[in-house]
Amino acid sequence: MTEQSPPAQSSESSAPWSISLADVSVTYPNGTRALRNVSVDIGAGEIVSVVGLSGSGKSTLIRTINGLVTATSGTVTVGGHDVTSLRGRRLRELRGHIGMIFQGFNLADRVNVLNNVLVGRFAHTPTYRTLLGLTTAADKDLALQALDSVGMLEKVWTRASSLSGGQKQRVAIARALAQEPSIMLADEPVASLDPPTAHAVMGDLARINADRGLTVLINIHMMDLARQYANRMIGLRDGEVVYDGPAGTATDADFAQIYGRPVQTDDHSGSQR
Amino acid sequence: MTERATAPLQLPERSRRRWPAVGATAAIGIFTVLTCLPAIGGVDVDFSALVRNWSNGATKVNQLLHPNFAFLPRTVSPMLETLAMAVAGAAFAAIVSIPLTLWAARPSNPNPVTRQLVRFIININRAVPDLVYATVLVAMLGVGTLPGFVTLFLFDLGVVVKLVSEAIDSSDHPYLESGQAAGGTQAQINKVTLLPQSWTLFANQWLYSLELNVRISAILGIVGAGGIGRLLDERRGFYMYGDVSVIILEILVVIVLIEACSTALRRRLR
Repeated sequence: MTEQSPPAQSSESSAPWSISLADVSVTYPNGTRALRNVSVDIGAGEIVSVVGLSGSGKSTLIRTINGLVTATSGTVTVGGHDVTSLRGRRLRELRGHIGMIFQGFNLADRVNVLNNVLVGRFAHTPTYRTLLGLTTAADKDLALQALDSVGMLEKVWTRASSLSGGQKQRVAIARALAQEPSIMLADEPVASLDPPTAHAVMGDLARINADRGLTVLINIHMMDLARQYANRMIGLRDGEVVYDGPAGTATDADFAQIYGRPVQTDDHSGSQR
Repeated sequence: MTERATAPLQLPERSRRRWPAVGATAAIGIFTVLTCLPAIGGVDVDFSALVRNWSNGATKVNQLLHPNFAFLPRTVSPMLETLAMAVAGAAFAAIVSIPLTLWAARPSNPNPVTRQLVRFIININRAVPDLVYATVLVAMLGVGTLPGFVTLFLFDLGVVVKLVSEAIDSSDHPYLESGQAAGGTQAQINKVTLLPQSWTLFANQWLYSLELNVRISAILGIVGAGGIGRLLDERRGFYMYGDVSVIILEILVVIVLIEACSTALRRRLR
């Protein structure tokens, strides 16, 4: 797939970035302390799963990396840029280098697949061109390449609303890939999918890491998927890092510690490994 | 299989906080009764007056029940004028409503200053009764369809911007977050995702404003703003209630036709 990747994909803009959180805390306006003094270093090209129960701060952690959530204290450094100090245009430019997918896919349902993927080109397109509907041939080509790499090229003219959940998540991955990102963030990407589809999507993310060398960070609460597809695992409980180590050898006892309770059957995706 | 558990079901305690609903209903009921007491400025509900003065209106009602269909040909041209006003007013309002609505809705405009400004202007626009617009505009632009068209445009703009921006406010927009995560500006996100998602909200209100226009323009004629309303007012002034009756029937038919068309269109818009 990537042997014949276009030159743009090997350009400097898509070289993987490292992520560094130094003593990061996030307190929401309603007083909730979502993150408490989190310090994590993720090297360029790593694939890391972030594990924890709902409300443990996983979503907040991942959103501090692209500035969707601003750290209350501490610094977030991504690819050498201090995210916490960026605003407006500079922040949008930085986000252009960070792809993100979501549990709910976050596509525009009444919009066709191609235009949904072209959302990934926003940061690289002047606003007036978007408003006038002027898409460059290069951008369209990038979008089509991205769709092809997740096997969704034939759905290019389909409305997002008529896709299945797995197809929607693949379009969302294509949208992120169209950014030619240096980092890929995934917030519970398979929580709304059935187990076989979940494995397929996790496989796509692992392939993006292996083939394109992107830094990949995946929020997930299912133990088997976290072990199988990531090299390293970070466990969060009540906004604090309680585990940081290899994913494959993490034991049930480690998970029990992260979850703060014995492991249950729901903690697995429930399909073959 | 057939054996049921014999133990009685243990229902959880139900909230007893029902008095707010009871209180609110009672308050509304009392207020409604008070509005009918003339002693404190309420409406004087006097059914006996209706019975006593029935004969005054009876002849008019009788004339209204005998429409003068010979008058119909004279109504065609004013009715076409009305339709032209209604369509043009709704169409121009539709175009201008797009940017104003996006400014007035929170998901499409996170800046509270510009959002409140546009909402304030729209509220002022809506506070002025359409007859006042028509009266002032007739004085400024002269008797005819032009003041009618401008009145309908202003009226439709208020309706569409208010209702659609509130509908946008109250619906979910998951794609906003992905657009922001991709580094998009609000304008880019609006153009590529929010606007296409909201077309049906817009289209519904545009069609509704067209329906309203035909009704309203029948009234606007009274102050000289052209169309069928002017003819209606003229015939009423001559006490020709048979002619008035024909005009009312014609307005009814046109409104029903427009409603049928817009209902069919809306059904296809899902």
